[in-house]
Amino acid sequence: MAKDIKRVSAQQRKDYMRVYGNRKKSSLHDTYAEKADKPFLEVKDLEVIYTSNKQIVKAVNGVSFQLKRGESLALVGETGAGKTTICRSILRILADPPAKMTGGDIWMDGVNLTDLSEEEMLEVRGAKIAMIFQDPMTALNPSMQVGKQIIEGLMLHNDYTPAQAEERAKEMFEMVGIAPNRMVEYPFEFSGGMKQRVVIAMALACNPVVLLADEPTTALDVTIQAQVMDLIRELRNKLNTAMVLVTHDLGVVAQNCDNVAIVYSGQIIEYGSKESIFLHPTHPYTIGLFGALPNMNDNSERLTPIAGTMPDPTRLPDGCAFAPRCPHATDACRTGVIPEKEIAPGHKIRCIMRDKEA
Amino acid sequence: MAEHLLEVKNLKKYFKVPAGENHAVDDITFTLDAGKTIGVVGESGCGKSTLGRTIIHLQNATDGKVFLNGEDVTNVSGHKLRQVREKMQIVFQDPYSSLNPRQRIETTVIEPMMNSKRFRTHKQAREEANRLMDLVGVDYRLRQAYPHELDGGRRQRVGIARALALNPQFIVCDEPVSALDVSIQAQVLNLLMDLQDSMGLAYMFVTHDLSVVKHISDDIMVMYLGQMVEKCDKNELFSNNLHPYTKALLSAIPSTDIFSPMQRVELKGEITSAINPKPGCRFAPRCPYATDACLEPQTLRELAPNHFVSCCRAEEIN
Ligand SMILES: Nc1ncnc2c1ncn2[C@@H]1O[C@H](COP(=O)(O)OP(=O)(O)OP(=O)(O)O)[C@@H](O)[C@H]1O
Ligand SMILES: Nc1ncnc2c1ncn2[C@@H]1O[C@H](COP(=O)(O)OP(=O)(O)OP(=O)(O)O)[C@@H](O)[C@H]1O
Ligand SMILES: [Mg+2]
Ligand SMILES: [Mg+2]
Repeated sequence: MAKDIKRVSAQQRKDYMRVYGNRKKSSLHDTYAEKADKPFLEVKDLEVIYTSNKQIVKAVNGVSFQLKRGESLALVGETGAGKTTICRSILRILADPPAKMTGGDIWMDGVNLTDLSEEEMLEVRGAKIAMIFQDPMTALNPSMQVGKQIIEGLMLHNDYTPAQAEERAKEMFEMVGIAPNRMVEYPFEFSGGMKQRVVIAMALACNPVVLLADEPTTALDVTIQAQVMDLIRELRNKLNTAMVLVTHDLGVVAQNCDNVAIVYSGQIIEYGSKESIFLHPTHPYTIGLFGALPNMNDNSERLTPIAGTMPDPTRLPDGCAFAPRCPHATDACRTGVIPEKEIAPGHKIRCIMRDKEA
Repeated sequence: MAEHLLEVKNLKKYFKVPAGENHAVDDITFTLDAGKTIGVVGESGCGKSTLGRTIIHLQNATDGKVFLNGEDVTNVSGHKLRQVREKMQIVFQDPYSSLNPRQRIETTVIEPMMNSKRFRTHKQAREEANRLMDLVGVDYRLRQAYPHELDGGRRQRVGIARALALNPQFIVCDEPVSALDVSIQAQVLNLLMDLQDSMGLAYMFVTHDLSVVKHISDDIMVMYLGQMVEKCDKNELFSNNLHPYTKALLSAIPSTDIFSPMQRVELKGEITSAINPKPGCRFAPRCPYATDACLEPQTLRELAPNHFVSCCRAEEIN
């Protein structure tokens, strides 16, 4: 049993290093301060495939976006649209095989991350870029007390003494709404949302300058969710951290993000400021998403999902991937590559029908 | 008194932990009729999943009773437990880990049918499985596929088909839509409501999404650290809620209106747990209205017909 735990820990430790890196000093943060206006993180023409059962799943098909220091971008989109794959590509933790990045570059602060060696990436992970995983068990060690896991992360990324780290871990527990007397428990004794909060605390303990938050609050009630988003905001204000936030919750987007990218079948089909997306959603898919929300003020019996289902990612149609479900689609939508068009300053869509109207 | 489909009486589930005893579910009482839905909301970790799992007997209750169609099913075992299980099913939050990755979709739905011995031949079970998958909308071509080939929405449909396989009367839906995008969420909610109409199913529906719970429930129960603090009709809960925790919860719903700043009630004060809890109101350490009276044990009171609240100051503060 003890041996088992040791073995698990060694493996987990490796995973941890892969995800949270090995940098002790956080001094690198201040050197970025002057370049506030330039894009800090830039994803360019990203393409990722998965090979499964000898079939090719085209998960990400030419995604580009930029983030300045301190900015936040929401990735919103259909289940399976490729949001998690995009985040994992930035951190370079795609499992290859089955995944393969077949194209594109990822620039951070003037460095192309795709050129870095695995050792160099260890310096980037955690200390510069941290990720909050959709599935908390990816980042938690099942055989280690939850409190110890946070303390370990804090010691790795800050110059804390063990006593200071423990004090800070207690504070972080309280900030995510868990009583400190529960630090001695193991992950299986925590509810789904409690595990998610521990993982959030671990990612924040790294003091990252880029935070990739993959559905960080789906398992949380709205009061804890608000508390956690406050905590993230506090960190971002302090370190001017840029954030990519993956979420299905349009309320969370409205309250926490500057810009929004709507992802469909591995492409960004609409991009703009929060204001342009919420006030002038233009792509038919985006409009459908807003239409499917249950409305607090209306007691109608049925909801209105978008008709049809997402295309099979092993056999994406020609032209616009949304065309088979789209009420406006014409023959022109079903051929060629649908270009991205700017319909208002900073507001871009991939739709040849609606970009004319606008 | 008319017989209820489900009656939960003073149900308790305690866990032993290093710091003492965690009162994860502490004295929960409610009834549910066929064709109805009770929504369960509350702080993450307040005991919603444990309540659902204890009711359908995936965990033993520490104390209290569960009646199904008037029959005490709290401590059944063996053959009887298997019969009870057929009547009470669960759909889990996570459509990824709740399906066996090495099992074809069709097998996943057929397996419980064969285990239950309700079907004598594999062929009969297979026909029924296909009928169910037609019903919930799992495409024919996907029935021989493995779970990883399906997206979250389709997996969740398989989870629902599996739960329906034994023709249950009651289903615990533990956050069945929170991993899904809003369009697929709408499809799944419509499906669950259609099934309820046609089969008279009763649901216990756990979710953090308050617009979803308002949409699907008849009554809503609000839990805080293992206890029920308020329960009433869904419209009453949103228009005339009485408990301070309910008020804080509803005030924190993130608004999709990007111009109106939120008026969130921020909860301050000591974060407590349900480990060796003190006798008074468990919300008192964070409650903006707390007084000394709140340190006394609270009782659940019916302040209006079918509106229960556990707060000694409910009349004063409302
Ligand atoms: N290991 C894998 N093997 C094969 N296909 C995969 C694998 N992981 C992901 N995929 C496929 O890649 C596509 C994108 O998946 P991804 O997890 O990035 O989506 P997502 O947008 O994060 O979805 P969700 O909202 O459900 O989390 C999907 O079609 C998915 O089925
Ligand atoms: N197997 C277990 N052993 C010990 N404690 C447990 C166990 N399962 C749950 N608990 C504890 O019981 C309490 C209730 O947990 P439960 O999972 O029911 O919460 P929940 O309301 O479903 O939360 P969430 O919204 O985060 O899913 C928590 O304090 C949790 O830590
Ligand atoms: Mg994902
Ligand atoms: Mg739960």
